[in-house]
Amino acid sequence: MSTVRSYLRSAKSIVIGLASIATFLILWEAVTRVVNSPFLPGPYSVFLAFIQISTVGDIDGYSLGWHSAVSLYRVLLGFLAGAVTGIPLGLFMGIKLTVKDVATPIIEPIRFIPPIAWIPLSIVLLSGLTRFTFLIWVGVFFPVLLNTIAGVRRTSITLVNVARTFGADNNAVLRHIIFPSALPEIMTGLRVGLGIGWMCIVAAEMIGGDPVGLGRLILKYANFLQIDVVIVGMVTIGLIGLAMNYAILLLEKRMFRWRVEVTT
Amino acid sequence: MAAMFTVEHLKKSFETENGTIDVIDDLSLSLEEGRFLCIVGPSGCGKTTLLRILCGLDPPTSGTILINGSPPDPRKQKFGVIFQEESLLPWRNVFNNVKFGQEINKIGASDEIAKKYINLVGLEGFENYFPHQISGGMKKRVAIARALAVDPDIIMMDEPFADLDAQTRWILQKELLSIWSQLKKTAIFITHNVEEAVFLGQYVAVLSKRPAKLKTLINIDLPYPRSRLAAPFISYREKIIDLLREEIPSIS
Repeated sequence: MSTVRSYLRSAKSIVIGLASIATFLILWEAVTRVVNSPFLPGPYSVFLAFIQISTVGDIDGYSLGWHSAVSLYRVLLGFLAGAVTGIPLGLFMGIKLTVKDVATPIIEPIRFIPPIAWIPLSIVLLSGLTRFTFLIWVGVFFPVLLNTIAGVRRTSITLVNVARTFGADNNAVLRHIIFPSALPEIMTGLRVGLGIGWMCIVAAEMIGGDPVGLGRLILKYANFLQIDVVIVGMVTIGLIGLAMNYAILLLEKRMFRWRVEVTT
Repeated sequence: MAAMFTVEHLKKSFETENGTIDVIDDLSLSLEEGRFLCIVGPSGCGKTTLLRILCGLDPPTSGTILINGSPPDPRKQKFGVIFQEESLLPWRNVFNNVKFGQEINKIGASDEIAKKYINLVGLEGFENYFPHQISGGMKKRVAIARALAVDPDIIMMDEPFADLDAQTRWILQKELLSIWSQLKKTAIFITHNVEEAVFLGQYVAVLSKRPAKLKTLINIDLPYPRSRLAAPFISYREKIIDLLREEIPSIS
């Protein structure tokens, strides 16, 4: 009975969601007709541009799939760099309060420098893939670090004591208690970090390297005033970000079945 | 029989902003192998501090503790400690929680041993449940099985049943006694509940108010299973309550 009801409930929300998207597209089309500007394309011309870029490719011959793949590769490199630096440092800062006291006054102000503000400096100091990676890393590192620290601080002292009374050394406490206990927060940090890193892609690809990547696609066609392709790039960034976020959420749900708030 | 567990002139004090606080002062105790000792004391007398020292989590300020002739060190000895608070690893199911102590203890985790103790505490069929899916009483059973599965030299319990409802507490007290009489492990059980202490212990150590000393050690000379309504049981209980009342004059 309740499964039928929940099935109907989810069918209902799917219908509402589709209706909402349809309404949005109609409104968009209506606005473009009213404004009637060559720089504000409607959904249909964006769709045509999407087909064009996906199949034929852009003026340099790169297809939308290739642009996406290159951007994804760059973001994943930056994401990896953010994870392998943020997680160990977060664990360390969470466990050793003196390390936290030393690192916090340096890290906190840097945290509020937006990735885009790093561009001039990185143009001078770095080039190519290292620059892309660095700019994405700036976006990924802080959410991973801060969530890892929060996860470590949340660890139950009783569980640490249990491990100690069974003879655990510091390594075993870290491996068996602190890390698994902080893992839900670490995963949240990774998910948020990947989202922010992905949103940094336009900033990272603003200058230099091959004219490939979704950020480059947008900027290239903005120069040609071909806004339909710009919107294709923007929507593609949005949809890939959404898909990655959803994939990690599903992974979290699988991993953390033991958490009450996930199962209910 | 030689004492397997001795405490001599134990003292513990903490430095705070308002000076030194003595929590335990000149406490001496001893217990023979395989015996069941309950420790009761007025609230806030330092019972939990005492247990942390006995199981090697905190060092004493002075004095000696010997378990089988050496000072408590969970890396060299095998302890089964059961805490009052939630102590199961929420990300492990019942079976893997019971195996946890063995894994840490480097004695090699054995599925058969874990299985044996899960059955002993009556949790057969619940191996794959996660802690949030089982009741408070069942969680305590898992904690007991986990402590026993390392084949501990000594079992130490800090108010393990304090959070449970009276019915569950009585059932677990009975089962703890039946498990103890099968395994004959040396057991130390800290509680503020006098009735629980008289029901469980062969000895009841009554502590003074802070700084805690041994006020009296009472030998509860009653066969198991004990009836809470029998006259000797009540007289032991009243005697201990009177001793505690001397420590807190305000409640009399």
